[in-house]
Amino acid sequence: MLRALLSGLGWRGGIWGCTFTSWRPHLPLARLLNVTELVNHWTAVFEKRGIPEARESSEYIVAHVLGAKTFQSLRPELWTQPLTPWQLQYIQELSSYRLQRMPVQYILGEWDFQGLSLKMVPPVFIPRWETEELVEWVLEEVTQRSRVVRAQGGPLILEVGCGSGAISLSLLSKLPQSQVIAVDKGEAAICLANENAHRLQLQDRIRIIPLDVTLEDSWAHLLPWGPVDLIVSNPPYVFHRDMEQLAPEILSYEDPVALDGGEEGMDIISHILALAPRLLKDSGSIFLEVDPRHPELVGSWLQSRPDLFLNLVTVRRDFCGRPRFLHIQRSRPQRGCPADAWPVLQPARVAG
Amino acid sequence: MSTSGLFRFPARLARVCMVPWGLRFPEKPALLSLGTVVTPVQVAGKKDHPALLSLDERELEEQFVKGHGPGGQATNKTSNCVVLRHVPSGIVVKCHQTRSVDQNRKLARRILQEKVDVFYNGENSPVCKERREAEKRKQERKKRAKETLEKKKLLREQWESSRTAPGERTADSD
Repeated sequence: MLRALLSGLGWRGGIWGCTFTSWRPHLPLARLLNVTELVNHWTAVFEKRGIPEARESSEYIVAHVLGAKTFQSLRPELWTQPLTPWQLQYIQELSSYRLQRMPVQYILGEWDFQGLSLKMVPPVFIPRWETEELVEWVLEEVTQRSRVVRAQGGPLILEVGCGSGAISLSLLSKLPQSQVIAVDKGEAAICLANENAHRLQLQDRIRIIPLDVTLEDSWAHLLPWGPVDLIVSNPPYVFHRDMEQLAPEILSYEDPVALDGGEEGMDIISHILALAPRLLKDSGSIFLEVDPRHPELVGSWLQSRPDLFLNLVTVRRDFCGRPRFLHIQRSRPQRGCPADAWPVLQPARVAG
Repeated sequence: MSTSGLFRFPARLARVCMVPWGLRFPEKPALLSLGTVVTPVQVAGKKDHPALLSLDERELEEQFVKGHGPGGQATNKTSNCVVLRHVPSGIVVKCHQTRSVDQNRKLARRILQEKVDVFYNGENSPVCKERREAEKRKQERKKRAKETLEKKKLLREQWESSRTAPGERTADSD
């Protein structure tokens, strides 16, 4: 039954996992509780075990079992209704994963990003809220730009490190004429991004390609589809020395490769910037999410690489006031490459 | 800050209050000082609606995600409840409707804008007017439904009575 439950939750591979001890019932199922009592019960259980966000976790799990995305959005009539034994059991099962510090998004198997519902599967990186702001910014910029771009059926966007597909798919859904090439070096990510693209019926406008941009000449694989109008990325940017301080939810369940940016968190960022000029159109843009220490580091790095003709144009803060997003622009015309060619993508085939 | 839509607020917040404050009941100001209010903005989604008083971001204090930590990739928080306070009136709105902080912030602002408008404009607020009209429409529908039901009842009774007395001619036949 455990195996069925795990596969039902979309668990693939046990390498990130923890051992599941058999659950001991935490509450007598003889008396049927209502929603509020249940949330209070599990909140207390989580708090006792030192699980962070005890109340929120409990609320999300209970709401999910009752078919709602958040506790506050539960239909009012459900507040006082007793739950069925099946519901109670399901809640208990999901809560047992939370006791193992599994992130709520993996427990529920899905999460929202920019209004889209995305499937979540460990160890593929869970989109953070800040990244929704990155998407907002890109949308603002695209909307402000020449109408020509949109009229011709663009923009053409490259996403590096797509993970579950959050950024790519939200851009595609908000920009009906856009097309996306999404790359990731993780097999699980490629798989999941494909699945999410199909779930959202966006598979015709996205090409998802396994690719490691840190490998030499990786950009060559992307040339057939280029040049692109935009490069977007939320690359691994955690400083290596900070990795061990991450919460167990992150360390035990999410792919460290999706987080670790090397000594100064710049490894993947610098590779993206280095390949950008070969792939970007005239005045094309790069939008990155980064660590708050990166604006300065990226600024100096770009100055040390005048051959790239990239300029750090804007640094934007997230809603906590931290410098989080960068807009870098290409400034020199690309020789011998037509700036207005719009390659048409073939419909994406499911990878692997 | 663009005034093209309610939901366009600057990425930089004038103030982010990370310290919990006590709630207090809003007091009606003796003088309605709306000096800092900018051009009224159309409430999104209500096209025929007269504009509500717009909110000035500088008068708002927002609190969310206590103990957010380093943020970004280094953190994975699911507590995205937004608490938004309009300082001049003291009105506080709490929103945890969606899983997105961004969406909750927008919703909180919309709800707060409505409450602030009612606070300052009282019954003249478009919010109250809309509510009264909706109530009126509802009452009218109820009335019409009741009337229809009564008509049907009357007709049925007439038909019944014409049946039970087959030989008699009735004054109205249907």
